[in-house]
Amino acid sequence: MSPILESAAGFKFDNVKRNQLLSEKGNAAPRATKTGTTIVGLIFKDGIILGADTRATSGPIVADKNCEKIHYLAPNMYCCGAGTAADTEFTTSMASSQLALHSLNTGREARVATAMTMLKQYLFRYQGHIGAYLVLGGYDVTGPHLYTIHAHGSTDKLPFVTMGSGSLAAMSVFESRWRAGLSREEGIELVKDAIEAGIFNDLGSGSNVDVCVITRNNVEYLRNYVMPNERVEKEQSYKFAPGTTEFIVPKPPATLSGEEEGTAMDVSA
Amino acid sequence: MSIMEYCGAAIVAMVGKDCVAIASDKRLGQQQLTVDMEFQKVFPITERTYIGLSGLATDVKTLHDRLRMRVNLYKHREERVIEPKTFTHLLSHMLYERRFGSYFISPVVAGLDKNNRPYICALDTIGCIDSSSDFVVCGTAATNLYGACESLWEPDLGPEELFETISQTLLSSIDRDAMSGWGAVVHIITPSGVITRDLKSRMD
Amino acid sequence: MDRYSFSLTTFSPNGKLLQIEHALAAVGNGSTSVGIKAANGVVVATEKKTGSSLIDVSSLEHMAMICDSIGMVYSGMGPDFRVLVNRARKAAQTYRRTYMEDPPVRILVKELAGVMQEFTQSGGVRPFGVSLLLAGVDDRGPNLYQVDPSGSYFPWKATAIGKNMVNSKTFLEKRFNGDMELEDAVYTAILTLKEGFEGQMTEQSIDVGIISTIPAVEGEDTLKQSKFQRLTQAEIKDYLSNIA
Repeated sequence: MSPILESAAGFKFDNVKRNQLLSEKGNAAPRATKTGTTIVGLIFKDGIILGADTRATSGPIVADKNCEKIHYLAPNMYCCGAGTAADTEFTTSMASSQLALHSLNTGREARVATAMTMLKQYLFRYQGHIGAYLVLGGYDVTGPHLYTIHAHGSTDKLPFVTMGSGSLAAMSVFESRWRAGLSREEGIELVKDAIEAGIFNDLGSGSNVDVCVITRNNVEYLRNYVMPNERVEKEQSYKFAPGTTEFIVPKPPATLSGEEEGTAMDVSA
Repeated sequence: MSIMEYCGAAIVAMVGKDCVAIASDKRLGQQQLTVDMEFQKVFPITERTYIGLSGLATDVKTLHDRLRMRVNLYKHREERVIEPKTFTHLLSHMLYERRFGSYFISPVVAGLDKNNRPYICALDTIGCIDSSSDFVVCGTAATNLYGACESLWEPDLGPEELFETISQTLLSSIDRDAMSGWGAVVHIITPSGVITRDLKSRMD
Repeated sequence: MDRYSFSLTTFSPNGKLLQIEHALAAVGNGSTSVGIKAANGVVVATEKKTGSSLIDVSSLEHMAMICDSIGMVYSGMGPDFRVLVNRARKAAQTYRRTYMEDPPVRILVKELAGVMQEFTQSGGVRPFGVSLLLAGVDDRGPNLYQVDPSGSYFPWKATAIGKNMVNSKTFLEKRFNGDMELEDAVYTAILTLKEGFEGQMTEQSIDVGIISTIPAVEGEDTLKQSKFQRLTQAEIKDYLSNIA
């Protein structure tokens, strides 16, 4: 076997039958982490601005208060992800990998349409079972491009887009204020306001605003551009006095190999 | 009932000042029936990276075995010790490989990297990484742990302070979770070594 | 059918694999490549030999980036090199997708050496007619490796492969020292190629690739590496004019 590839590429299905049986017996399948999410993108005078909130949820629980939803695809391309968090993470990382190979092989920067086609064909192949809802933005040799890609493989090309559970809140901001030829500052402000609309009005979205400005030959990733939900500092410390917890030192200690020890060594002395 | 709640578990990891801690309960159950009170859920992966596996016990064992194989292969092939972050990505990759037939495991990773910087994160059953700079939790007591951690954790705790905080967090949480408890174990990972302690807890 | 699909590389009675020796001969006919490991990076350089002045040299690729931290040159057969470049790039991406970091140079070298070895022991194939020089940076610092058609690989401080290998290595033995900075190494690499270069050396007739380590910043990862890059013709021209 190759030193790099431990397993063949692609998914493994060896647990599927067992898992099916378990769910038929009434054991509900586990909940995957969702992004919840408000993600947006718009075209401004000099390029594309992408925006995202930073909350990840597992059912009603906030799983991550400051996750990153704007994923790197290529030096000139970024992609916001909504839906099943693992799917957005791995789908974009796979696309990024393919784009890297593509541009090494062609000796050119990849086009946004190329990335969009790769992603939609991949998602369509899985018929929506890979729950990645994406906002793809980039600037290539043909100019700025902004797409949305749905988990079933449909795509749209629009001057301003929103996705995720907070998309309605964000779209209401875009619909009332977006216009052609926005300046950089106006664009960032509008994206920030749209994401904040999601953060404050949609329960699936929360915490901070991430912004990514993509222009010709330049990308500015403004991680935590605004943080409107910082936790106030605790007034008092809740440290416990040393000796609060009663404990013993176990014997034998856990071994690295995880194998059973023969006779336990006396380490108490 | 979800399959993730079949065995019961409470696992928590916390960041301290130049140290990290990971703690778990010891109960293994079949729904309401307790079958083991010394069930290992936290495993050393390297000398300074530990993993906690909550979920279905059969998958805890299987995944731990597979991880051991992959980490040992890495060690021999690359002649270096795997970093906690690199290990997390490997684990994430292994979980996502089974996107459509997952292991019923949600893991927690805690470790110090080569520069002694703390690293902790939690993953869901299909490998989504939730990295954090304060604490991560998993298991049937996760909701309880979240609440306790949010109020008890504070930054820059030393190893002994961190031990008290993580222990009290865990003990309070398992006292209000019927599915976990029956003893607990804490590992404090410091640059000079790992301190392992068994906690005295309620046995009901 | 299967009965006759023996490997082309079968042992001769005296224990040699003639096909591999022939492959090395093909490498020996190829244009010279040199590599030098400096204190803060690695340089690789190669001649761009053209049979005719009518060839558009700008389209020739004798050097390839595998991933940000690793680059590769060859001596021998161009088409064989491109196959290995594809394999290497795919392997690098596969590694990246698993561990979210670039592969250490030695891991990629082992992967390529594995591929090349397979082609000395499989049915219906011939060994690769190339030797490779891989230049890269990882958490162990700068690395320079050579991989041969047999699948053997060697780490070097400085080395040369191809037509003028023997003379170039003698030259490098005199010139190399371990404290050499990358800038000096580039000059040395070009000078080495110049030894025994047929005709006038211009910025169009050689290819130079560099990768450097940037000194560690306190609290940062020990070695933040820069990208492997091919020098532009203007940059090579500057180096050449400083030598002349």
